[in-house]
Amino acid sequence: MTFKTWVKTITFYELLVGMKATMSHLLHYKPITLQYPHEKRTLPDNYRGMLALLRYDDGTEKCVGCDLCEAACPSRVIRVVSAEVPGEPTKRFAKEYYMDMTRCLFCGMCVDACPVDALGMTREFEWSVYDKRQLDLNKEQLLAIGDRSFPVREKQLELQHPNVAFFNVAFKHLPQKPD
Amino acid sequence: MTELSLRLAVSFAQILAEMGIVMFTVAVMTLAERKILGWMQDRMGPMEVGPYGILQPLADGIKLFFKEDIVPAGANKAMFALAPMLTMVVSMIGFAVIPFGPDMTLNIYGLTIKPFVVADINIGILYILAIASIGAYGIILGGWSSNSKYSLLGGLRAAAQVISYELNVGLALVGVLLLAGSLSLVEITEAQAGGFWHWFIWGARPDGYFPIHTQLFAFVVFIISGVAETNRIPFDLPEAESELVAGFFTEYSGMKFAFFVSAEYASMVLVSCVAASLFLGGWNAPYPGTIFEYVGLEQLAWVEHIAWFAAKVYFFLFMFIWIRATLPRLRYDQLMRFGWKVMLPIALANIIITAITLYIFPR
Repeated sequence: MTFKTWVKTITFYELLVGMKATMSHLLHYKPITLQYPHEKRTLPDNYRGMLALLRYDDGTEKCVGCDLCEAACPSRVIRVVSAEVPGEPTKRFAKEYYMDMTRCLFCGMCVDACPVDALGMTREFEWSVYDKRQLDLNKEQLLAIGDRSFPVREKQLELQHPNVAFFNVAFKHLPQKPD
Repeated sequence: MTELSLRLAVSFAQILAEMGIVMFTVAVMTLAERKILGWMQDRMGPMEVGPYGILQPLADGIKLFFKEDIVPAGANKAMFALAPMLTMVVSMIGFAVIPFGPDMTLNIYGLTIKPFVVADINIGILYILAIASIGAYGIILGGWSSNSKYSLLGGLRAAAQVISYELNVGLALVGVLLLAGSLSLVEITEAQAGGFWHWFIWGARPDGYFPIHTQLFAFVVFIISGVAETNRIPFDLPEAESELVAGFFTEYSGMKFAFFVSAEYASMVLVSCVAASLFLGGWNAPYPGTIFEYVGLEQLAWVEHIAWFAAKVYFFLFMFIWIRATLPRLRYDQLMRFGWKVMLPIALANIIITAITLYIFPR
């Protein structure tokens, strides 16, 4: 043991360095705490929050009951019961639509899978409840979430051909095939 | 008969006042510890109850008061109930001999009472050491009677630790006793009057300024051993959270738990009071006399004395929190080696050196 280390030992030098560090934090007090219920952090732009079903600007549901979201979901959150639109044999819609949000992991694959952009991820995250049955959402609840989170709705597109109306996609913007 | 009842009433009032002051300090400490610890770690500490969380001790007290009192299966019920009471009583009873203010006497109907010390007994230091040793029993009993392996391990560690470090506390005080020539805390405090160079940590003779009898090493030994005796970080092995859940009070809940925790804080306050009285001159100001005397208000000098005492005690309490915010826990063998191989030789050498210097340069 050199003389220097001996002096450091008997004067508690290393301890005093640590004490100085904590004291400097006390004197230059800058808390990183966010007092959560009173102040909230800004969410990132691509935040994936609560799922919602969307409507067109005329109030009709976008969902066409294709079940692709159910197939894409890795945790089997979604259950769709598809049905024909009465009187229009080529059109379908989701008669029932359930989401068991207790199992959702907010991966967003259902939103990616949806061919008509009928699903959206809102920025809501405060969905803690006392009874987890309240998290088994039906179609009305999901549409209500979409209504309050997406006030600006997409325009309903005109349909070109009855056979492609299934996907509600406007093919008129595609380049025309040469005749 | 009337004199006896009056004496009893006065003593009872003094005890109540002292209990109130100590319990208030404990409540302040529980809040201050959480706040200062938070500030030192870039957090805020409790913020919800009251403005800036200042009513948190009250909320904690109400919560603990209404919690269910659980006695674990297989526990020794009598001992389980006795342990927190013993710990609490022992940590409160030590304050009886601490002089909070100057050695004044008041005359009430022919009775002479000392308002700032409950019991001015001539073996004050011995009394405190004895009481502190009994405190270990509460911890060991609590650890043993819980019928839990964590509690038992905590109690065993506490036994070994308190016995090792009590020795150092006792030996560190011997130098001060040699200098003051008394075991009474009142007389020890009065021997340090007249400026900070007469405090025993500096140790100048009553007619000089040179620190010939300095007790600095004894002071350091006393503070470190005091931290160890109150089971505080970095010597909190008996209640090591990461190893033993909560150590000897793992199985306690409700008011019994509150008793253990407030006893820990009360013994911190007691160690701070003893350190302030023995080494930092107790209620003496760091300058000769008091400012109130200079401006001609002799009857108010006690206010200044008490303020100085409180300042010193709270300085030590802040040191406790500061150390807790900084240092990690010692390993068990490090604790024992530090106690027996470092602290004990320093304390013994301090006694010898103080005795020799005192023989050559008597006070």
